[in-house]
Amino acid sequence: MSPILAISGLSKQFGGVTALAGVDLAIEEGEILGVVGPNGSGKTTLFNVVTGVHKPSGGTVLFRGQDITGLKPHAISRAGIGYTFQQAMAFAGLGVLENVQIAGEHARAGGTANPWPTPQALLDFVGLSALGGEKAGVLPFGSLRLLGLALALATRPSLLLLDEPAAGLNDRETAALVGLVRQLPGHGITVCVIDHDMKLMQMLCRRLAVLDFGSKIADGPTEAVLADPKVLEVYLGGDL
Amino acid sequence: MKEDRRADLFESLRSLLPVLVILALIALVPLFSPSNRFLSLAISAGINVIALYGLSVLFGQTGILSMGHAALVGVGAYAAAILARDFGIGFWLALPAAALASAVFAMIVGIPSLRVGGHHFVIMTFAFGQLLAIVLTNGGDYTGAATGLDIAGPVTLFGADMTDLTRYYLMVVAFVTVAAVASWAIIHSSYGRTLRAIRENEKLAASLGINVGRHKIGAFVVSGIFAGISGVLLAYFLGHISPSQFSSFPSIYLALMVMIGGARLIEGPLAGGILVAFLPEVLNLDPVQSRIVYGVCLIAVIMLLPDGLIGGIVRALRAAFSGKPKQETEDCDAAEVRQ
Ligand SMILES: Nc1ncnc2c1ncn2[C@@H]1O[C@H](COP(=O)(O)OP(=O)(O)OP(=O)(O)O)[C@@H](O)[C@H]1O
Ligand SMILES: [Mg+2]
Repeated sequence: MSPILAISGLSKQFGGVTALAGVDLAIEEGEILGVVGPNGSGKTTLFNVVTGVHKPSGGTVLFRGQDITGLKPHAISRAGIGYTFQQAMAFAGLGVLENVQIAGEHARAGGTANPWPTPQALLDFVGLSALGGEKAGVLPFGSLRLLGLALALATRPSLLLLDEPAAGLNDRETAALVGLVRQLPGHGITVCVIDHDMKLMQMLCRRLAVLDFGSKIADGPTEAVLADPKVLEVYLGGDL
Repeated sequence: MKEDRRADLFESLRSLLPVLVILALIALVPLFSPSNRFLSLAISAGINVIALYGLSVLFGQTGILSMGHAALVGVGAYAAAILARDFGIGFWLALPAAALASAVFAMIVGIPSLRVGGHHFVIMTFAFGQLLAIVLTNGGDYTGAATGLDIAGPVTLFGADMTDLTRYYLMVVAFVTVAAVASWAIIHSSYGRTLRAIRENEKLAASLGINVGRHKIGAFVVSGIFAGISGVLLAYFLGHISPSQFSSFPSIYLALMVMIGGARLIEGPLAGGILVAFLPEVLNLDPVQSRIVYGVCLIAVIMLLPDGLIGGIVRALRAAFSGKPKQETEDCDAAEVRQ
């Protein structure tokens, strides 16, 4: 089967800084793929280029066989790629329920059965239904992360990119998040997740890709990648 | 689900009610045989309020500030005057035509300006206002140069001559009502939600499939429609228009009125327009003094009442009645001035 997302030769320069140096990566339908790498290795940039936040300097991105390279963020969202930001965010001045309502109003039409037909159902799923009437701006950080996830899910993505979704969460919140993310493939949502927490990645992902200085240095089954000498070298003295 | 929606509709209709009641009371004013001076002031205020409802969609909902809004009113006013002079087109046909002209102008200004982002937009709208005044002043006979244009032509409705002051007053109140209802409908629609999302966080909005650039231009165009209609009413009310009426000062006044009243509340434009029109009269100020007072008011409102005057009153009433400051609902949250 062809991958849901096929990235080839993707590169990005910021002035003199090479954030991505020709990355090839395939995301298979139905998997939860992990992307790891040291700070500044280009993980967020990879997502930003795929989602149209930044224009790539070179390379192509195929989503379900269609070339989406360089499209605008809203067009990529409507094509079916959801995205949460490394900095948790929501529409702070608006109600929690209204946030989710907005997020669902611009999704592409039709497709498969929606597992969360109403904003309320989506809030139930992420465990925020009690907070629907609050302003998003007053939510504690952990709830804000979950709301960010709900917003991305409301766009009814078939591929979801999560940039450090557990950063800043306590153990209980992280466990809840893991529980949620694991259910997504069952709802027809392929996941690609960035995180520094290797324990979390081992729980979530059967496959890992490793970036270092904008290049992919490893890609394969999680255990094999974590035992790869090249990867160990990158993380020497780090949190592995 | 259906009941939910009905409850929502009821809830949002309730938010419209106070404005409708106030406007109904305002329509009763002629019963107390007010002076012509009072009626004239009230008509001018009402004409501004129509433009302010457009500005509240732009600024209050979308978070974009226009500092050249009087220019869009001017486009409507000149369109009405030129259509009457060159084509014999009267008041009622001038309304949609002028609304279209202002909308198109808003689009022409909006496309390049809104692409470059917030602060630039404020400057671009300001520059556009100045530019329009220059073009009108140097337009020779076509625009009447610095003297401007006369607009004769009666305004009739079902055979009745509306140029009578009381009738014109009632007609303006009707137009204000339509503007208020239109702006309320926008606020409570999914379109309004989209605009608020852009106001709150453009990056997030785009990631959720919202075409931010297109909707910002759209909001400016919508505000242009209100401005164009306001311009037609102004031209026919004054019978004479000139470039200085649509330059930077009137634009700043419009921005000031919407901020003083409160841009996110349905009562805000009404309150701001009335207050700014009648304050100098009530306090018996000359034009220079009144400018100073407005300036002070604006600073006070920005610092003390971020939701504008009405937002402040609503908040105070809620606090008084419930004993504790209640969590604000969407359309009366802090109108932070971020531009
Ligand atoms: N908008 C930008 N402008 C200039 N340089 C940037 C920009 N975004 C990223 N960079 C640079 O690109 C490189 C990769 O950054 P990126 O944010 O992709 O790293 P990351 O792997 O996500 O790191 P972290 O784990 O800290 O989130 C860094 O050197 C960074 O400074
Ligand atoms: Mg990052």
